[in-house]
Amino acid sequence: MAIDAGSPAIRARQIGVEEGLRVVELFIGPQHPASGHMRLVVYLDGDVVVKVDPDIGWVHRTMEKLAETREYVKTIPIFERMTIIDSCNITLALVQAYEALLGVEPPPRARYLRTILCELNRIASHLYGLGIGGIFLNHSTMYMWAFGDREVFLTLAEMLTGARLTHTYVVPGGVRRDLPQGFTDAFAKAKRYMLRRLKEYDKIFLRNPVVRSRLEGVGVLERAKAKSLGVVGPNLRASGVRYDARMLGYAAYGELEFEPVVGEYGDSLERIWVRLKEIETSLDLIEQALRQLPEGPVMAERYLKMLPPALRKLVESTGRVKLPAAYVNLRPPPGEALSRAEAGRGEIVYYVVSDGTDKPYRVRVVSPSFRNAVLFMVLPVGHRFMDLPAIYASLDYFPPEADR
Amino acid sequence: MSAVGEAERRRAPNPVRAHLEAIAAALSRALKPPMTLMYPDVVEELPEGYRGVIAYRYERCVGCGLCARICPARAIKMYKVPGDKRMRPGYDMTRCIFCGFCVDVCPVNALEHTKIHDKAYYELDSMVLDPVEWAEFSRRLIEEQSARSRSPNLVRAVFDEEVGLRYERLRRS
Amino acid sequence: MIDAVPLLERVLTPAVLAPLLYPGLATALVTVLLVIWLERKIAARVQMRVGPYYVAPRVHGALQLVADGMRFFFQEVIVPLTAGRGFLLAPALALAFTAAAFAVIPGGPGVVGFKTDYSLLVALAALSLTPPLVLLMGWASNNKFAVLGSAREALLTASYEPLLFMSALAAAVMYGTLDLVAAVEAQARLGVVGLALNPLAALLFFVAMMAATDRIPFDIVMGEQEIVHGPYTEYSGVAYGVVMGLDYVKLYALSLLYANLFLGGWLPFNDPLAGSLVLYVKALAVMAAAVFLRGVYGRLRLDHALDALWSKLFPLAVVSILVSALIAYYLGG
Ligand code: SF4
Ligand code: SF4
Repeated sequence: MAIDAGSPAIRARQIGVEEGLRVVELFIGPQHPASGHMRLVVYLDGDVVVKVDPDIGWVHRTMEKLAETREYVKTIPIFERMTIIDSCNITLALVQAYEALLGVEPPPRARYLRTILCELNRIASHLYGLGIGGIFLNHSTMYMWAFGDREVFLTLAEMLTGARLTHTYVVPGGVRRDLPQGFTDAFAKAKRYMLRRLKEYDKIFLRNPVVRSRLEGVGVLERAKAKSLGVVGPNLRASGVRYDARMLGYAAYGELEFEPVVGEYGDSLERIWVRLKEIETSLDLIEQALRQLPEGPVMAERYLKMLPPALRKLVESTGRVKLPAAYVNLRPPPGEALSRAEAGRGEIVYYVVSDGTDKPYRVRVVSPSFRNAVLFMVLPVGHRFMDLPAIYASLDYFPPEADR
Repeated sequence: MSAVGEAERRRAPNPVRAHLEAIAAALSRALKPPMTLMYPDVVEELPEGYRGVIAYRYERCVGCGLCARICPARAIKMYKVPGDKRMRPGYDMTRCIFCGFCVDVCPVNALEHTKIHDKAYYELDSMVLDPVEWAEFSRRLIEEQSARSRSPNLVRAVFDEEVGLRYERLRRS
Repeated sequence: MIDAVPLLERVLTPAVLAPLLYPGLATALVTVLLVIWLERKIAARVQMRVGPYYVAPRVHGALQLVADGMRFFFQEVIVPLTAGRGFLLAPALALAFTAAAFAVIPGGPGVVGFKTDYSLLVALAALSLTPPLVLLMGWASNNKFAVLGSAREALLTASYEPLLFMSALAAAVMYGTLDLVAAVEAQARLGVVGLALNPLAALLFFVAMMAATDRIPFDIVMGEQEIVHGPYTEYSGVAYGVVMGLDYVKLYALSLLYANLFLGGWLPFNDPLAGSLVLYVKALAVMAAAVFLRGVYGRLRLDHALDALWSKLFPLAVVSILVSALIAYYLGG
C-alpha cells in the first residue's frame, strides 16, 4: 500500500522533511518522565539525533531581582533555593562576598565547620546526581541506593544544622551552630559505610556490562572543547582539566590536603566515575577537617560582642548562635565583591554591588548548571536517540540551578 | 589520592564475571534489612536543635519586632492586640520556611523551634495565626511534642556500617 | 427445547476451559497480580526498601495490586480525539491471542486444553501474534512517542523471535518432538531435565523470553526515559491495565513453556493436582528470576540489543541446536 506523504495521517505524526533530512521533531519536556524542569527539543533522523535545542528557564524565580529588595541576611535563604540539595555550597560564595564587603572575617572554627557541611552537601548532591543518572538508564536500583545512602548524609547535616536540606547554616561572620555531640562518631561510621557502598556501586552500576555499554564512549567531550565551552565542575574535570575552585583555598580548604579528581576520557562513564571518586575525596576532607578542627567561637567576635551577656552565655552553653539586632539590617560600605566557590556541579560565581544601604544594589550569580547547559546542544548530536538520557544522566544537570 | 588511570575502572571488566558480580551485589543487599523509616507507624526522635514549627511564648515577648524584621519569608507580622500597648508577632505557617532566623534573633528567647514539622490542615486560613492564637497553638504544640516523645513507637536513627541507617525502637511494647 | 446439559458439556470442553481457567486467563490474572507484587517486593528488598505495604500490611501488601487493578477498572478510558482505528481493538485482540496460547500449553499431567502434536509451535505462533498488534497500538495512538515505540517493537521483534524459536527448536530436537506433553515425558524417560542437558538453549530461551516480554534490560519498547511509554503512551484506565498486563500474561505463558521444556514440567509428580501445582510453582520461579533482574540491570540501547540478539546470541542458538542434535543422537541411540 502506497502511503501518501502528504496524507493527514502522516502529517499528524509529524514525519516531514526539514532541512533536507527526514526529521522528527520531538518535544521532550517539560512534562516528560525524563526531562527535568526543562524542555529539550530534539530533532531525530531515524534513530540519530541531528540537533538538540535545550529550552531552559521554566523554573526561573527572579532570584537576582528579589535579592535587590531584601536585606542582606534575608537573601541567603533565597539563593539557597537555587539548589536546595547543595545549599551550603551554593550560599557559601554569596556569604563570602558579603563578608568581603562587610570586612568581617569568620573565625577559624567556623571556616572548618563550613567545609564540613559543604562536603556533606557535595556527597549528598553527587549521590542525588548518581541516583537520577541511574533512573535515566532505567536502573532503579542505582536510583534507590543513591537516594537511600544520601539519607545518611542528610541525617548528618540535620544533626549539624537542624534542617535536612535548607540549612541556612553559613551567615556573614561565621556559622549558626557548633558541632553537636557525637557527630564525629556518627561520621566515622557513615564514612566506613559509604566506602563499602562505593564498591557495591561499582559492581551494580559502573562495571555492570549493561550500564557500561550505555555510557562508555558516549558523549565524549574533548579537553579543548570543554575549555572553550566554559564547562565547569566534574564535567570539566572528566575531560582532563585540572581545575577545581576548592584549589583557591577558601573556607578551610587551604589548610587541608586536597587534590582534585581529574579524569581523562571525557565520556559519560568518566563523568559519573569522577563524581564517585569525588565522594571519596569529600569523605577524606571531612575526616581531615574534623581531626584538625580548631577550638574557639563559631561566630565573629564583632557580632557576638553586640549580644547582651545573658545571651552570650547561652550561645556558649548551647552552641547555637544568637544574632544581634544589628544583624537585621547589615549595612556594608559602598563597594563591590566577587566570590567563587566549588559547588557540587561546578564553580559558582557571585558578584555583589553594595551602595551602602541595607539591601544589595545588585547580586549577579553565574551558576554551574547554567554554564553546563550548553552541553545539551553539543554532546548528543550524532548519537543515537537512546544516548540522550545517558548523556543527560552523566551531566548531573539541575534545572532550578540553571534557571535561578 | 591518585585520580587518573585506576586499573579497576579502566580495564574493561570480564563480562561474565561482571554480570555475576552485579547479580551478587543485588542479592547480597536483598538479604539485609531495609533502611525505611516506617513513618507514620513510628515516631522518629529528631536530633536536638531540630528546626521545626516555631512556638511562641507570649509572656516572654517584649514586642521588639525583630523577628518580624528578620523573617525572610514574611511569615511573621506584627499585630495590634486589644488590651496590649505593644505590638505582638503573628505567624503565618503557610509562609514559614523554618530558617530559624526569628529564633536566633529574639533577644528574650520568646521563640523556639519545636521538633514538629508535619502538620496538616483543611483550610489555609487556619494556618495564619494572630499573636494570641499563636501562643495558644504553641502551648498545644509543645504538649504534642512531649506526647510524641513518650510514644511507644518512638525510634531513633542510628548510624550503622552495614546498612547505613537503622531505626532503633527506644521502647519495647 | 434444547437440553441444557449436553450443550453445556459441549461448550465447557477442556479446549475452552484451559484457555479460560487453568492455565489460562483466570489463573493468568491472579498470576499477573502475584508476579507484579513479587516484582515490587523483590526490587524493594534489593533496593533497601519495603515495597507495597499499606494495603493489607499483614500479608505484606499483597492486596496492593488488587487495589491498583480496581483503580484502573474505575478510571475513565480516554481515547484521544486524534486516535486512529484499532486503538481499543488492538489490546483486546492481543489479549485474545495470548489467551489462545494457553489452549495448547499443558498446565499439568493431563491438563491440556487442546491436544496436538505441534503444541510448542502453536503456542509460540499464538504468542508471536501480539507484536503486530503492538505496532497497531502505536500507529493508532497517533502520537510521535508511540510511533517511535512501535518502530522499536518492530525492530526488536524481528530480532528476538528467531532466537525464541531457535532455542525452542533446540529443545524440540533434543526431545525429538514438537509436543510439550511429549517433551515432559521425554525428560521423565531420560531422568534428567532439559536445563541440565542443554543449559545453553535454556539460557537463550530465557533471554529471548525477557526480550519478548519487555523485561529489563530489554524494556526498550516502553523506553520511559526517551519515549514516555512507547506504544502504550495514550492508554488509560482499564485499557492501560490490559496493555500493561499483556506483557505479564505473556511472561506467564512463556514461563510455563520454559518450565515444560527445561525444568521437567510437572515432574516428579504424575497426579493432575500435585503435578499442576509443581508446574505452576516452577513457572513462578522462572518469573521471579525474570523480575529479579530488574533490580540488577538498566536498559540496553536499541542497537546494542539488536546487535547482541543477532550477532552474538543467534549463532549461539545455532550451536545449541547442534548440541541438542548430538544429545538426541547419543541418548536416542
Ligand atoms: S523560621 Fe524563618 S521563615 Fe519561619 S517565621 Fe522564623 S524567620 Fe520566618
Ligand atoms: S523577637 Fe522575640 S521579643 Fe521581639 S517581638 Fe519577636 S518574639 Fe517578641
